[in-house]
Amino acid sequence: MRAYLLRRAGISLLTLIIASMVVFLGVRAVPGSPATALTGNTDFSQAALAAINRAYGLDNPLPVQYVDWVGQVVAGHLGSSPVTGMSVVTELGNAFPITFELTVLAMLIALLFGIPTGVVAAIRRGRGADYASNGLALFGLSIPSFWFGIMLILLFSVYLKWLPSAGFIPFSQSPGANLAHLVMPAFVLGTGVAAVLMRQTRSGMLETLRTDYVRTARAKGLSEWVVVGKHALRNSLVTVATVIGLQFGILLSGVAVTEEVFGLPGIGQLTINAVFQRDYPTIQAVALLTAAIVILINLLMDFVYMVLSPRVRLAGEL
Amino acid sequence: MTTVTIPGEGSLPSLIEPSGRGWWRRFSRRPPAVIGLAGVVIVVAVAVFAPLLAHYSPIVSQFGHVLEGPFSAGHILGTDQLGRDELSRLIYGSQTTLEVGVLATLLAMAVAVPIGIASGFYRGAVDMLAMRITDVVLAFPFLLIAVGLAAIFGPSLQNIILALGVAQLPGSVRIARAEAMALREQDFVQAAIVTGVKERVILFRHLFPNMLSPLLVQASVSIPAAILGSALLSFLGLGVQPPTPSWGNMLASAQTYLYNDPWIAIFPGVAIFLTTLSFNLLGDGLRDLFDPSMR
Repeated sequence: MRAYLLRRAGISLLTLIIASMVVFLGVRAVPGSPATALTGNTDFSQAALAAINRAYGLDNPLPVQYVDWVGQVVAGHLGSSPVTGMSVVTELGNAFPITFELTVLAMLIALLFGIPTGVVAAIRRGRGADYASNGLALFGLSIPSFWFGIMLILLFSVYLKWLPSAGFIPFSQSPGANLAHLVMPAFVLGTGVAAVLMRQTRSGMLETLRTDYVRTARAKGLSEWVVVGKHALRNSLVTVATVIGLQFGILLSGVAVTEEVFGLPGIGQLTINAVFQRDYPTIQAVALLTAAIVILINLLMDFVYMVLSPRVRLAGEL
Repeated sequence: MTTVTIPGEGSLPSLIEPSGRGWWRRFSRRPPAVIGLAGVVIVVAVAVFAPLLAHYSPIVSQFGHVLEGPFSAGHILGTDQLGRDELSRLIYGSQTTLEVGVLATLLAMAVAVPIGIASGFYRGAVDMLAMRITDVVLAFPFLLIAVGLAAIFGPSLQNIILALGVAQLPGSVRIARAEAMALREQDFVQAAIVTGVKERVILFRHLFPNMLSPLLVQASVSIPAAILGSALLSFLGLGVQPPTPSWGNMLASAQTYLYNDPWIAIFPGVAIFLTTLSFNLLGDGLRDLFDPSMR
């Protein structure tokens, strides 16, 4: 079991290293000198350019630059934004809690809707509840999230005037107002993930409900609750855990548009602004941060995988 | 989809099943799948015949007719903020939408399938390398991939297709890999290996044709995902650039007029929704056909 975990951790670290190289080379592949990319200026004299290159160590060979850069990143030096002049770490620190709260709420909504509807659909296969859940899942998969957001704003903010259409208020300032600002974006973001989770849960449940051990559990006279909840669902959640890991990268793209539509100053909006202002230090930091988060979550999901499934647990021990 | 209308059973073998008619009979028994197919056919037809269907130019402004509501004279769906006919823009917008969806998927398949087959067949170092590549791609949200490509190569339709294609890679690689691993153990492949058939022939004649159905299903879910992705990029201003109409950039410009003229934000979204819904319904129908256990 420990060997398996160590192996997975090693692979994650390798992935993170390759990802960091992609980010490093990506920023240096941008047309114009890296000095332009890193400072946002385009108008340099030759002497100034050479001075900047020396100051940033850009006259060193690429591998040396990479190692230097990794050392700086690990020490928490991500540079400062040439647009706002603020340190990138401060910017990320301001934006991160908003995105974190939004993502957690969205995942909660997705789990709360996705897994129970998936279970019900599998148990009531081919009946009304199955068709209804499938219909909802198709809706969630097909609707463009940003348009869904705009439609919710039209309905709940413009016509009914129940909810604010944009902006953010910290939880510490006013918990009620905080949730009022986040409920629509979290719902929009959660819908797509809920749809995927529902489908995965359903197909996983259909598969496990057919297995011998479920038949054995029923034959032993266990109640349907125990059979479905403990035996079947637990094993179906193994695949669901993988899907949650895979969904996170997709979710983070969704976060950017959702924050844009609802005017939330999180990581997504920070990224989009950075893109339009060609603020490369910020883009570089965001890319690295999201890659690290996605890789970490997938590693965590491997761990969950192991806890949930005795098969994987045992295979790891062999 | 043309295989279904071929007369005379067995005269032209379908790639998917020996008897084309049985295929269609089972497919047509599922109303959602048929609705999906009809929707896809309609969108494709609209894109192909756009010049015949649209009564107005999608890019020429009529400043005397700005933001007219739906059902106003001559404009069934009204006009946008520059006085352009909303319906004509929607009709032409279907072209870029389909182009991006289909080409991104084809690109992903063309790259992913050989990688997936090789990695599932050879395992070992090839597999390790392929899996690490997909891991790295998965680690970046496709938005960042698109942003990176736009920054390096400049924003263009080709780069959107490239970015969405790259984003689709991991899913397609994994499917081809899983199929290759399963097929490799089958007797006919083992027999071919033992009798010394060239590896290239095994990969392309034995493995590839036998994984077409799962790949077809993957394509049918990958196209709507790419359509949503391109709409999202256009909405953020990173995709199709105005004045060329795309459903995504129509929505982006409509957001400013949301409070007084909500209809120009409603129609493009409905168009995207119905298109992706049709593809997803079709994909579900195909999946049920190939893998009835999940029905």
